[in-house]
Amino acid sequence: MSSVSFRAIAVLVACTAGAVLWARSEIPRLASVELALESKPSGYAAVTLSAIACELPGEQKFLRLAVIGDSGTGGIEQYQVAQQMENCRVKSGFDFVLMLGDNIYGGKSQQDFERKFETPYKPLLDGGVKFYASIGNHDDPNERLYKPFNMGGKRYYSFKKGNATFFALDSNYMDRAQLDWLERELSSTTTPWKICFLHHPLYSDGRYHGPDIDLRTHLEPLFEKYGVNVVFSGHDHVYERVKPEHGIYYFVLGNSGELRYRNLRTSSEMAAGFDTDRDFMVVEIAGDKLYFQTISRTGQVVDSGVLDRLQRE
Amino acid sequence: MVLSDAGYRRAAFILLAVGLSAGLEPQASTPKSQGVNADAVVIGDFEKQTKDYVRLHKKAEAGLPPPKPTASPHMINEHRRMLATRIQTARQQATQGDLFSPQVSKVFKRLIAIAYQDAGPAKVGSSLQHDEPVHGVKVRVNAIYPETIPLQTTPSSILVNLPPLPPELDYRIVGRDLVLRDTGANLIVDYIPDAIPQA
Repeated sequence: MSSVSFRAIAVLVACTAGAVLWARSEIPRLASVELALESKPSGYAAVTLSAIACELPGEQKFLRLAVIGDSGTGGIEQYQVAQQMENCRVKSGFDFVLMLGDNIYGGKSQQDFERKFETPYKPLLDGGVKFYASIGNHDDPNERLYKPFNMGGKRYYSFKKGNATFFALDSNYMDRAQLDWLERELSSTTTPWKICFLHHPLYSDGRYHGPDIDLRTHLEPLFEKYGVNVVFSGHDHVYERVKPEHGIYYFVLGNSGELRYRNLRTSSEMAAGFDTDRDFMVVEIAGDKLYFQTISRTGQVVDSGVLDRLQRE
Repeated sequence: MVLSDAGYRRAAFILLAVGLSAGLEPQASTPKSQGVNADAVVIGDFEKQTKDYVRLHKKAEAGLPPPKPTASPHMINEHRRMLATRIQTARQQATQGDLFSPQVSKVFKRLIAIAYQDAGPAKVGSSLQHDEPVHGVKVRVNAIYPETIPLQTTPSSILVNLPPLPPELDYRIVGRDLVLRDTGANLIVDYIPDAIPQA
C-alpha cells in the first residue's frame, strides 16, 4: 500500500471515530433538550417566552428571583452554573435566590463554605442578591445560623416579597410543630401567591429517589386547603416540571451542582424534564402570571413558560 | 402526676393503640385503663428525662456566647464543638437506656409500629428508602454524630406519632436504630436499637 493510501485510510478512520465520539457525547444532550421543549403541558403553560436566556417580560410591576437546588458541591459545574446566573443577573436582574437544600455537601468548615457557596456566588452576593436557604439531608441543620442563608436562625421560616409569600420548609424533619406552624402561617397569609420551597419532592420522576409519599400525605392537604400555588424542591439531581397536581405547580430542581445523568423515567405526570446537565431557574411574578425559564450550565433555555395563578374557591 | 398537653395527647393516642392491640389479642389479661395509665406514666417519665437533659444542655451552654446568626461558619462550628465537649464531660457516665429506658423503648417501638400501620408500611418504608438511608454508622451514646454523613430524614408519620421534643433534641434514624440527638451539639444522647421495623 502506498503511503498516500495509508494516510487516506488513517484520516478516514480518525474522522469516523471522531464523528462517533461526537455523536455519543452530543446526541443524548440534544435529545434531552428536545424532550424538554417538546413535552409541553396540556393547556396550562404554553411556552410563549423567548428562547433567549434571561429574557423575561419585565412587566411594569414584577418580582424576579432565581432558584437553585443541590448546588453545594464546590465542583467546576457549580461554578459554571453560578456564572450563568451572574450573566442573567447582569442582563435582566433578579433580587434573590431560593436554595432548595444540599447547600453544602460534605465537610462544613469555613473553607467548605467559601468553596461551595461564597466563592461561586461572589458576583451575585457582591451585587446585593440575597439567598434564602432551605435545609437538605446533606446540610447541617445549624446552617440556619449562617447569616448569608437568611434563615434567621430557624429551620423553617417565611418571608414576603411583593405579592408573594415564600415558605422555607425543613423536609428532613416535618414534625407536628412545623406542620402546626405551616398551617398557622398559610392561614394568615393574604398575598395572592404562596410559594413553598423544600428539599424533598412530593412529586418526582427521578429514578434514584422519586417522590416522598409520606411527606406528601402530610403536606399536600395543607397546600391545597390554603391555596399554595407553586412548590419548588430538589433532592433528585434532575430538573422536572410536573403537571399540576390538585391545582399546584410542582418543580424539581436538584441539579445546580450535582447531576444524575439520564435519571428521569418516562411518566405521564411530567410536563418537562432535563437530566443531562446542570441548570437553574429564573422566575418572574407579575400580577397573576408566573414566567419562568430553566437555563442550563451552557446557557441554553431547556424549559420555559408562563403559569397562571389558579383561583380556588 | 401532672401531664403536659403533649402528654395528654400521647396518652389519648396510646388509648387508641391499646384498644387496637386489645382487639388483636383475644385474652387481654390487663384491664385497658391500667394499660393506658401505665403507658402514660412511661411517656411522662420520658418527658421528665428529656426536661432534665435540656436543663443540662442549657447549663452547659450558659458560659458560651449565644448561638446567633453569623457570617462565620467557624464560629458556628466552634460553638457546637465547645457545647459538645461540655455536655460530653457532664455525661461521662451516660449509657444506652438512660432516656430510652426498656419501658420507654417498648412503648416507642409500639408507637412506631402503629405509625407504619396507620400510614401504610409501604409509604413510611419507601420514604426511608428514598432518602439515602444511613447504614454502617456505629451509634454510641455521648458520641458526635459523624459530621460528613447525611442525617437520615425522619418520616413525618413517625414524628407525629412520637412524643414531641424540645428544640434542643430531635429523633433521627440510623439503620434501624432510633437516635435521640442533641441538635445544637450534634451529640447522640441515647438510642433505641432496632426500633424501626425490618424492611
